[in-house]
Amino acid sequence: MACAAKAEMEDEGGAKLEIESKTENLSRVREFMSKQVSASQLPPAERGKVILAVDEAVANIMKHSYEEVASGTITISVKSDAERLEIHVMDSGKKFDPNSIRDIDIIQHVKEGRKTGLGIFLMRQIMDEVEYSFKEGQRNELRLVKYVKPKPRPGPAVQAGGGAKGA
Amino acid sequence: MGGFSIKSEPAGGAVLVKVNGFLDAHTFEQMENTINNLFNENSFKIVVDLSGVDYISSAGAGVFIGAIGTAQENKGDIVLMQPTPHVKEVFDLLGLSQIFHFADDADTAVKFFSS
Repeated sequence: MACAAKAEMEDEGGAKLEIESKTENLSRVREFMSKQVSASQLPPAERGKVILAVDEAVANIMKHSYEEVASGTITISVKSDAERLEIHVMDSGKKFDPNSIRDIDIIQHVKEGRKTGLGIFLMRQIMDEVEYSFKEGQRNELRLVKYVKPKPRPGPAVQAGGGAKGA
Repeated sequence: MGGFSIKSEPAGGAVLVKVNGFLDAHTFEQMENTINNLFNENSFKIVVDLSGVDYISSAGAGVFIGAIGTAQENKGDIVLMQPTPHVKEVFDLLGLSQIFHFADDADTAVKFFSS
């Protein structure tokens, strides 16, 4: 049976979803994010990608911060304005800094059959800013930002296996 | 909504695996088990029909990354058939579209193995 989200709420600070750390709740996260991106100013072509980036962030927390133990709580808060959509993903699990994971070389990954790092790579590909902070004894917090109008990116065009951005 | 199912059937010397629903961190192990079972039965020519997959995340795409090497080492391959634009976009973002073969229909996919 599907595990319902603990709570979904909205106030002047934006919308918020709280879930238990169970992969069956990922579809709930995507439904919540679908509502948020639809109500935002993001171009339609970017909306599905932002939902994917948040799904990847939450799946990583379930796997790495809570190590697939279902007792943890994950909170996603979203606010948007004419310029951008900003998402905060918070948990109280083990310290897990996605920025400590290097970008992948997809050709090498496939050669070796490796699957690690794909979600973080996607987050970096999709979002304009990926920022992590950890308060000792408190929580991990991941801040993801997508601008309504694409920001120019430094350096050469990002390709699979190419450089990180915004992290 | 989002019910996940996998069905396999022989298709001209290959195996056609029809997937429906969300292929994400919650369901990818079922996909992985299906492919591993096919390998155990010495089936390495695999066509994955993605036309019924509404959503794929890196966990889902990772199944194919983990499997393509074994398939190719055994004179087979993994051909991905009819991904929806959203699903194909994820393969594009990961850089996997340069590595995997895509087919528009089952005939073309199966013919790939005799080419």
